[in-house]
Amino acid sequence: MDFTERSTRVYKTKQLYSKEELAARESLCVHEQPAFCTAACPLRIDARQLAGLCAAGDFTAARAAMERAVPFAQILAAGCEAPCTDACRLAEAGAESVSIPALERAAMRHGQPRTGRGLLKFKKKKTAVVFGAELFTLVVAAELAGKSYPTTFCVAENSASELIARCAPFLDTESAAEQAEVLEKLDLKVEYGRELTAALVEAERAKYDLACVSLAVYSALGGGNTDPVTLYDEKLDVLARPNGDESVIGAFYNARRAGVSADRLAQGMPPDSARGDEGPVASRLYTDLSVVSPTVRVPERGVYTREEAQIEAGRCIQCECTECIKGCAWLQHYGKFPRIMTREIYNNVGIIMGDHMMNGAINSCALCGQCSVTCPNGYDMAEICLSARRNMVETGKMSLAVHEFALRDQLFSNGEAFLCRAGPGSEKCRYVFFPGCQAAAVSPDAVWQAYMDLRARLEGGVGILLGCCGVISDWAGREELFSDTQAQLSAALSALGHPKIITACPTCTRTLAQLGDCVGIWDVLLDIGLPDCAPEAVGPVVLHDACGARGDAHTQDAVRKLAGQLGCAIRETEYSGDRAPCCGYGGLAGYAGPEVAAGMTAAALENTSGLQLTYCMGCRDRYARAGAESRHILELVYGVPAGAPPGISEKRRNRLELRRRLLRDIWGEDEMNKPLNFKLDITGEARALMEERMILESDVIQVMSSYNDSGEAVLENDTGLLVARLRIGNVTFWVKFTENGGTYTVHRVYSHRMTIETR
Amino acid sequence: MPEVKSYYVIDPEGKLTCRKCGVGLVKANAVFGYLDNAFPVELPVCPKCGFVYVPEELAVGKVLSVEKVLEDK
Ligand code: SF4
Ligand code: SF4
Repeated sequence: MDFTERSTRVYKTKQLYSKEELAARESLCVHEQPAFCTAACPLRIDARQLAGLCAAGDFTAARAAMERAVPFAQILAAGCEAPCTDACRLAEAGAESVSIPALERAAMRHGQPRTGRGLLKFKKKKTAVVFGAELFTLVVAAELAGKSYPTTFCVAENSASELIARCAPFLDTESAAEQAEVLEKLDLKVEYGRELTAALVEAERAKYDLACVSLAVYSALGGGNTDPVTLYDEKLDVLARPNGDESVIGAFYNARRAGVSADRLAQGMPPDSARGDEGPVASRLYTDLSVVSPTVRVPERGVYTREEAQIEAGRCIQCECTECIKGCAWLQHYGKFPRIMTREIYNNVGIIMGDHMMNGAINSCALCGQCSVTCPNGYDMAEICLSARRNMVETGKMSLAVHEFALRDQLFSNGEAFLCRAGPGSEKCRYVFFPGCQAAAVSPDAVWQAYMDLRARLEGGVGILLGCCGVISDWAGREELFSDTQAQLSAALSALGHPKIITACPTCTRTLAQLGDCVGIWDVLLDIGLPDCAPEAVGPVVLHDACGARGDAHTQDAVRKLAGQLGCAIRETEYSGDRAPCCGYGGLAGYAGPEVAAGMTAAALENTSGLQLTYCMGCRDRYARAGAESRHILELVYGVPAGAPPGISEKRRNRLELRRRLLRDIWGEDEMNKPLNFKLDITGEARALMEERMILESDVIQVMSSYNDSGEAVLENDTGLLVARLRIGNVTFWVKFTENGGTYTVHRVYSHRMTIETR
Repeated sequence: MPEVKSYYVIDPEGKLTCRKCGVGLVKANAVFGYLDNAFPVELPVCPKCGFVYVPEELAVGKVLSVEKVLEDK
């Protein structure tokens, strides 16, 4: 792999997805779909919000929301037939649906009316007239006035209260009086006591630009062909409602549609143009009903008291899809749903010059695929983040700094620490044990024991293949290195005569599947039985499924069986099996977003205690690092004690040592290390800094060797410390040390990627 | 040489000595480079061998944050 740094002066981009591909992904997320009640309401009144406000006791805000949505909100609240209630999902969960209209009535009763007159609006030029009193025309008149058309309302009734009584006879006296007051306050000229004969209407109509008529007036005019969508009768040039629907919600909905038509007509457009979505829709929202308890409605005697309304509103479960974010620390960290994340990632990839704000997010997703299972529609952020990474690599936008350490670690595993051997004295083998880079790094003893056991008990020869399966380069989006690695492993396997690959990590199994026939060591052990050394009564454990085993029920099951044989009493986590989260190791999340990855680890360990049993060394290591008592199942089988989690240098040393031990004890080959010609002493402080700053012991040794040869260093007169430096690859490493005879004592270390020259 | 603005200036104030040449470091012109961007600075340099000293605070502070900004360009 080419480790030259990219240039920020190369301006290359490649579209991540076509418009259609983007839309296909985005449309999977239903988070922004309306709640079922809201979708069923022709007026799209946000009933979920209303219930939320009432539950919180904020009736004034609830009332204000109603009054913003419709004129004469009290009439609607009193009379609405409430299609929302029929759509409420509670009924499906064995509970009674929430009585939204009862909450509306409570909001109108207990909420304070809006104060202030609002903004002074300029009157429109076009004028409007409404003839005849019915609920539809009353609301139309208010709608048109609200839209700032100078509007005249001609009715036969003689007063506001008579008019309200005629339009909304179902109102109680108190509400009727209030609505009459509302009517009087409208910016609407009402002409009472008009005799609405056809002749008079026709004569008056001519004086206005827009007109709307009641059903009675419409038939007097001889109408009968109003358009069912626009409510416009072109011949008579009036807006009128179709005959038949006498519902209250129907009157309000018709009035709203008539208002839209009036706008179109006023603009000289056909009334059916650009109307958008109107009326009830089917919502695709998903909501988890599993936690709903079978509550019943609070009976409404008169209007709910505040307390009653709060209890009734509190039964609303606030339908919302949060399935993905509930289980994913990455989504929680960014606080956005996949649709928004996808759009932002898509845009980020398109930026030619300037800041790429989403790089951190793209690189800190664990690529674990949990979302694709928890989401009812299979939204797959892993695919999106991985495509974005590959795209960034291809266009030279991927920072080498985020992944260089991990990539070099893979190269180390498949270079210096690589080992591929059939048994001693043989070229081919029937099986090959592939423990994986992390097992060799974190628990080399378990690997050793397992290999000894497999060799002793399997017929046909068991070879060893120490290395990395290549997933690190795959996660990093480095397709070239990944295919090189696959080629290297493929050649190794073919040299061994295509043996069956025994893996100890579900991610290796998945990655190596294309290269040969893989079987998990758990399956082998179930088959040949546990070794004699295996414990029989481990006791309670919390089992963590590996994200690499998602969709692999066979492996999940085999591990449970094996744990059962070890006497483990398994406690499952909330998200187990295919729904398991990532420990924070996956996708190299920890390199790009250490805090995000720490959140993943913490989430995976939430509400657990005691022994955490894993079957992936990545999980095993991260849980131990977070302070949990964690073991890989192989460590249990072979009784390998859990030491302190190894640091980055120790992980490398462990791999080398394991290789050396195998070569020496099985093949009788002893590789001697070239001894250093100085002694190195690294203080605890320096060790901690090396971990934190990802500086390897081998880096420090190189710096000190270079100093040893050249004598180049700076002396800090105050502290007496010497400071030496060496550029290794893309990084300059600095070591602060003291010198005593042939011993260098390292006190501090640091590094930077920038180059430095004199000018 | 035309006047170039220095992004960062550190004066050794006689507190640093070149181990090899045995002379005090002096404030001198240097330049940081990363991903094809250059930042002129003034740092402690050995007047004899040209060893440029990057103090720890600078490396893990300003230098690191500029690196990060450039990495997302
Ligand atoms: S689970 Fe997440 S991505 Fe899927 S529909 Fe729900 S909110 Fe959208
Ligand atoms: S971390 Fe896993 S669950 Fe979260 S977005 Fe990435 S792939 Fe999906």
